[in-house]
Amino acid sequence: MSDEIRRLSDELARDPSSLVFLQLGEALRQRGQLDVARKVALRGLERHAHNADAHDLLARICVDADELDRAFDEWDVVLRLTPDHVGAHKGMGYVLFKQGKLEEAERHLSAAASRDAEDASIATALHMVRRMMQYTNGAKNGNGAAPPAELAAAQQRVEQEARLLFAELLGEGEHTAILLDGDGLVTAGVYMTADGNDVAQEIGAELSGVRDEAQRAIRHLELGDWRSVTFETEVATVAMAPVARDSLVLLAAGASMPLGFVRRMLDRCAQLAADWLGEGA
Amino acid sequence: MSSPFAEQLDTLIRQRGVLGCLVVGERDGIIVDANLQVGVDGRAVAALAASLYRRARLSARAAGLGGVRFLQLEAEHGHIWAAGRDELVLVTIAESRAPAGRIRATMLQLAEALT
Repeated sequence: MSDEIRRLSDELARDPSSLVFLQLGEALRQRGQLDVARKVALRGLERHAHNADAHDLLARICVDADELDRAFDEWDVVLRLTPDHVGAHKGMGYVLFKQGKLEEAERHLSAAASRDAEDASIATALHMVRRMMQYTNGAKNGNGAAPPAELAAAQQRVEQEARLLFAELLGEGEHTAILLDGDGLVTAGVYMTADGNDVAQEIGAELSGVRDEAQRAIRHLELGDWRSVTFETEVATVAMAPVARDSLVLLAAGASMPLGFVRRMLDRCAQLAADWLGEGA
Repeated sequence: MSSPFAEQLDTLIRQRGVLGCLVVGERDGIIVDANLQVGVDGRAVAALAASLYRRARLSARAAGLGGVRFLQLEAEHGHIWAAGRDELVLVTIAESRAPAGRIRATMLQLAEALT
């Protein structure tokens, strides 16, 4: 048991009516302890049946447990309690997307985006759903979902578009760019090795931590918002810049490329990424 | 008694917009020597810059990009630059108006002498 979970458990034991169960349930969910997290959420709901965040917590636990229908129902309750709840709209959009109900997913994601335009994960999801609507051409089964084969083809096409987002801008040079979300996961772009493997995910996971460290430094030193981090290694220059609230664009170029050119390319990649995310908002 | 780094730090602090420059241990973020303008929290700059540089170095190595020579953080109200060698990091913190290119060149040159 981590110190944080132990502390939250002790606090809840001292005051069972406390809302600390929300933090405890979320901490357990993030650690993958879904059964315990669910028990905490359900016990909390016994005392706080009309707390929207408690239903939201239970919904997220259900999604992690692959219980999409139950999650949807919980978010439905959240919206009845708090019609503007961004997380519920986002979550319902996700469930409907997974069920192939693109138009309904689009409605919920649009509602979420209109309430939080800076959340890049919402913008990305909305972008993808809208593109897929375009490529499935409105085809639907009796249950309102797009036919699985068309859905799969559309998804593949949209993912390929995302992979090639920076291709035209970067051309054939010795540089590559990727767009990472707040968790360091690749949203768009590729990072190809000399032997033809796409290692964008691995590179993104390793390098996005630098952004977190940079944010910590500028917050403590009161330097305002961060604009870029650039580091030069023996073989490459790596530059990153923020896009939307949590995302970042990362450009890696050969060490021989002039630093000023790297900065210009970084600015252009960031603008392209912002425009791409903005198409969904 | 002046430290072996005093001359290097004097060179940097004279640049326009520079608020402070330090030689810092990369592992512990402790100041080895510093030349700071009044009001600059040297210990905070040292700890944070060393941590950032170390993170970049470890990440770059893990990503197969080799060792980090130079790092620049640009923020709304200023810059932090870091250049490392042999577990020491030369750090400069400056206002936005500071001449980035000149400071980078100076730091890379001075970092060669860090031991």
